[in-house]
Amino acid sequence: MLKVKSLSAGYQGNDVVHQVDFEVGSGEAVMIIGSNGAGKTTLFRAMCGLLVPSSGQVFFEGTDISGAPAERIARLGLRFVAAERHLFPQMTVHENLLLGANPYRPDPKTMSLILDLFPRLAERRRQHAGTMSGGEQQMLAVGRALMSKPRLLVLDEPSTGLAPLLAQAAYEALGALRKQGLTVLVAEQQVPLAMSFSERGYVLENGYIKLQGTAQELAANPIVRRAYLGVT
Amino acid sequence: MIANILDGIVLGLQFGLLAAGLTLVYGLGGVLNLAYGQMAVISAIVITLALSAGVPVLLAVALGLFVGGLAGLILDLTILRPVYRLRGEPRVLLSLLLTLGVSFIIDGFLNWRYPLETLSLRIPGEAVEILGVPMRRGSLIASAITLVTFAALFGFFRYTSLGRAVRSVIQDQEGARLVGIYPHRMLRLILVLSGVLAGLVAVTRSMVTPVDAQSGLSITVFALIVTVVGGLGNVAGALLAGIILGIVSVIAANLIGTYISLIILLAAAALTILIRPAGLLGVKE
Ligand SMILES: Nc1ncnc2c1ncn2[C@@H]1O[C@H](COP(=O)(O)OP(=O)(O)OP(=O)(O)O)[C@@H](O)[C@H]1O
Ligand SMILES: [Mg+2]
Repeated sequence: MLKVKSLSAGYQGNDVVHQVDFEVGSGEAVMIIGSNGAGKTTLFRAMCGLLVPSSGQVFFEGTDISGAPAERIARLGLRFVAAERHLFPQMTVHENLLLGANPYRPDPKTMSLILDLFPRLAERRRQHAGTMSGGEQQMLAVGRALMSKPRLLVLDEPSTGLAPLLAQAAYEALGALRKQGLTVLVAEQQVPLAMSFSERGYVLENGYIKLQGTAQELAANPIVRRAYLGVT
Repeated sequence: MIANILDGIVLGLQFGLLAAGLTLVYGLGGVLNLAYGQMAVISAIVITLALSAGVPVLLAVALGLFVGGLAGLILDLTILRPVYRLRGEPRVLLSLLLTLGVSFIIDGFLNWRYPLETLSLRIPGEAVEILGVPMRRGSLIASAITLVTFAALFGFFRYTSLGRAVRSVIQDQEGARLVGIYPHRMLRLILVLSGVLAGLVAVTRSMVTPVDAQSGLSITVFALIVTVVGGLGNVAGALLAGIILGIVSVIAANLIGTYISLIILLAAAALTILIRPAGLLGVKE
């Protein structure tokens, strides 16, 4: 479904992500783990069209989307939920969700599915997105992305700014979506959370993919255990 | 006093309409269009020429609005291209410089070719009494057109999906792109809309004061002041600021003298920047 080939990207001519290769198959949940500053956000932004990669290619369902603008990639069905969420703060929850679907064609059926999934959003339909709590905003960001019935959902640190219990709840909601067949790619530095959810993963360190494997393999790897799982 | 307030509201609606086109383009695209007044003047002259060629008034006005929108589209397709490549402060500055250049060119051309054409849409008939104050018909019709225009703008932004998409770009451009909205298309649409609004400014203004080749600069200046007070990118703010400034300026002119009202308006804009940098209805970032 998604194939990234030797992708490099950075800022002002300095690459911070180097020749990254990875793949996400249809129906999979894949994680990219790495500590602060490893380059996860940069990698995702380059993949989703918010940043022009300096070299390499990205294929989404066979289409070469390298360097395509974010708005086109979004319309192809690859939806990116940024860590900063990028909601429309002075619009209501309802309006945010409407814009998530094909912005010009409202879709009441998907809307009610999403409100069932996140009852909290249903309660707050008329509230402005900017005044909601961090957890609610995260739900809304995911809900807005889901409104388009994406083929692939890409999430950058969905646990950002959430208390441990809420972060766990966020991952449980993602797990439920997985069961319905959604393909998910997630970047996370709270590795245990991501481990519980994904079946495969890659470790990004200083902009390079250092390791890859199934969640079990990574969980058993001594380097991962020491650096990311706090096991000594 | 009531007369002052009514006159102020009439003037204020004018101010609000002036600012609407400018504020939208700025809020959406970070483009400060200093040729805005000249766009209005182009419309005014097109209408004048059409009228003197014997075209019926409504058709002439429609033609003027069309040319206004076309001017917006041409700006988008030509001079603003390099501006779109920049972000942030350099973008605003370049847009300001380039459109200022455009305004000089348009001014020069119009003053050379059409120095005498003056648009003055007189509405015949007796003054109408409102709350005991006799009001000129032209002022009332201009105000009515402005109110209808604002109602249409609000309706567009609140109830149509296209209007919602435009607002989403104003509120979070990256968020808009991530849901598949093309910011450049929205900006082009808004530039065309702002051109039409500039044309409408020419029409309503000419019902009260004549509009000619020299009117461009003052239209831009007033629009800028109202935009600053109302908050950049905020249509409701433009209307509110316009009305408040209109009333203030009429009262100041009557109490002190006409020369003072522009100074008072500038002071109001400066004060707004000091106290509420985001404008009257602005929200903090
Ligand atoms: N806009 C930018 N301009 C210049 N350098 C940047 C920019 N954004 C990120 N960087 C640098 O790129 C490197 C990778 O940052 P990135 O945000 O991709 O890491 P990350 O893995 O997402 O980290 P975190 O887990 O903290 O979000 C860092 O060294 C960072 O300082
Ligand atoms: Mg990050």
